[in-house]
Amino acid sequence: MSKIPDVLVRPEFEASDIGKASTADVARKLTLMERISDMNSVRKLSILVIVIVAWEIYSQVSGVSELVLPKFSATAWALVDAVFSEKLLYMVWNSITVLITGYAIGIVIATLLTTAAATTRFGSDILSTLTAMLNPLPAIALLPLALLWFGLGADAIIFTLLHSVIWPVALNAHVGFMSVSDTQRMVGRNYGLRGIVYVVKLLIPAAFPQILMGLKIGWSYAWRTLIAAELVFGGSISDTSEGASGGLGWFIFASQMDLRIAYVFAGLFMVILVGVVVETVVFNKIESLTVRKWGMQAR
Amino acid sequence: MDTKNSTAAGSTPAAADTKPILEVDGVTLQYKTKEHLITATYRVGFDVYPADRFVLLGPSGCGKSTLLKGIAGYMKPVEGAIRLKGREISDPGPDRVMVFQEFDQLLPWKTVKQNITFALQNGGKSSSAAEANDIAMEYIQKVKLSGFEDTYPHMLSGGMKQRVAIARGMAMEPDVLLMDEPFAALDALTRLQMQKELLQLWEDTHFTVLFVTHSIEEALIVGSRILVLSPHPGQVKAELNAFDLNHENVGSKEFVRVQQRIHDMLFADRVLEDEIQAGDKG
Repeated sequence: MSKIPDVLVRPEFEASDIGKASTADVARKLTLMERISDMNSVRKLSILVIVIVAWEIYSQVSGVSELVLPKFSATAWALVDAVFSEKLLYMVWNSITVLITGYAIGIVIATLLTTAAATTRFGSDILSTLTAMLNPLPAIALLPLALLWFGLGADAIIFTLLHSVIWPVALNAHVGFMSVSDTQRMVGRNYGLRGIVYVVKLLIPAAFPQILMGLKIGWSYAWRTLIAAELVFGGSISDTSEGASGGLGWFIFASQMDLRIAYVFAGLFMVILVGVVVETVVFNKIESLTVRKWGMQAR
Repeated sequence: MDTKNSTAAGSTPAAADTKPILEVDGVTLQYKTKEHLITATYRVGFDVYPADRFVLLGPSGCGKSTLLKGIAGYMKPVEGAIRLKGREISDPGPDRVMVFQEFDQLLPWKTVKQNITFALQNGGKSSSAAEANDIAMEYIQKVKLSGFEDTYPHMLSGGMKQRVAIARGMAMEPDVLLMDEPFAALDALTRLQMQKELLQLWEDTHFTVLFVTHSIEEALIVGSRILVLSPHPGQVKAELNAFDLNHENVGSKEFVRVQQRIHDMLFADRVLEDEIQAGDKG
């Protein structure tokens, strides 16, 4: 009877009226400072400012030659000058035109390959073999061949762009289709979706995060390949709007030949700017309208 | 053990002249894994009548989900036949809508309402967008999700997602609604709530539902008739009535008696290892 219990037995209780929690903030507005420091753009911009200030101070103080490292201020002036008196923007436009052409054709070919891979086992084998073989091959290494086949001109560059676009786009789309969950496939078939309707209405949206990732990777490969190709052969794309010859890569190369190093830096800055604008503005916009809104973002 | 027991045939709610809406006749289902050919069910037979809340109950490995996939038309039986309204099932179709356990059954790129209208329009239930819209809103209201119609699924809780899936299934007004452990991934309190709501919805329209579960309690609460399946491979062990058991009499003498009866049926003739295995999986 008087056995000691294993647990300490305490009286039960039930609060009669818990009332309102009066002391603590249940929900408090963030202060201005808290909100500003939470903004991504503010934090990243401040890093950029620090880099620029460090650059300017170093080039002023150390007395480094203008031919090695121009001052930031000189680079900024060179950029303005190049835009207004050397038609830099037309050159950028030349580059982008070639890029978009190659990108678009690449996507069409990638779509065909992925379709074949999704529908037949042979197609799937073709895609995986070709991708395994050709994906590690840097597109720029194909340029000498391309010049031999297509001659000096935009066609040769477009050919190398195709190589840099097709494989990542096709591979990612294929992986995306493969990883659509069985449940979602069954749901689609349950409502009687068949054939091309099933692909368009169910598989493509379900695989969209992966497809978009492929498009992003394809774009960034293509942009790098384009600039590299133009650096070497870009002067030949001179079908040119408004008399500006060559693309952005060519501008960098030519500026270096003329020892105008600030203009080289200005050109490099333009390469970064276009890359950042497309990747953050264009693709970010697409993402926020689609996969992020749907909560499907691949992490 | 492998014969169909017609216990208490006289008290079946369906009248004698009513025809079954779904007939499963000696169905053997097999599927392949990388190394094995698995026989999931062996010569399983049962009839579902209109307005039945028919439960397939059994431990892991009794082929109950596979059976549901066969009825949905995703798998063909190697033996026997499945007939819906007398017509043999060959493909998936909107006359049998499936509600899955997985939350990703909702299409994430569509809002709650669009998920339902998508089904209605592609399943051929409504020809105009306006009509689909009206039906969708009606069912959203039925499952108590008014105000969430323009929300994307990833913003919803698990229970809300399953409600949408149920609304989508019911809006299609299928001949039979197939539910594959729809509440298994929910927490206990939400599950209880969902069971009650499902029964309320049934009170409204008396739709026919085929419900798969491994929980004896859930089977007794949700079901009006219960098919008990044995595992490896799934075979019919019993068919029982449960239309007078529900939430109100959980824990009552009668409820516990039936619960115990099914429990004994499923576990009586099995060795200890099997029990542990089933406990782990289930």
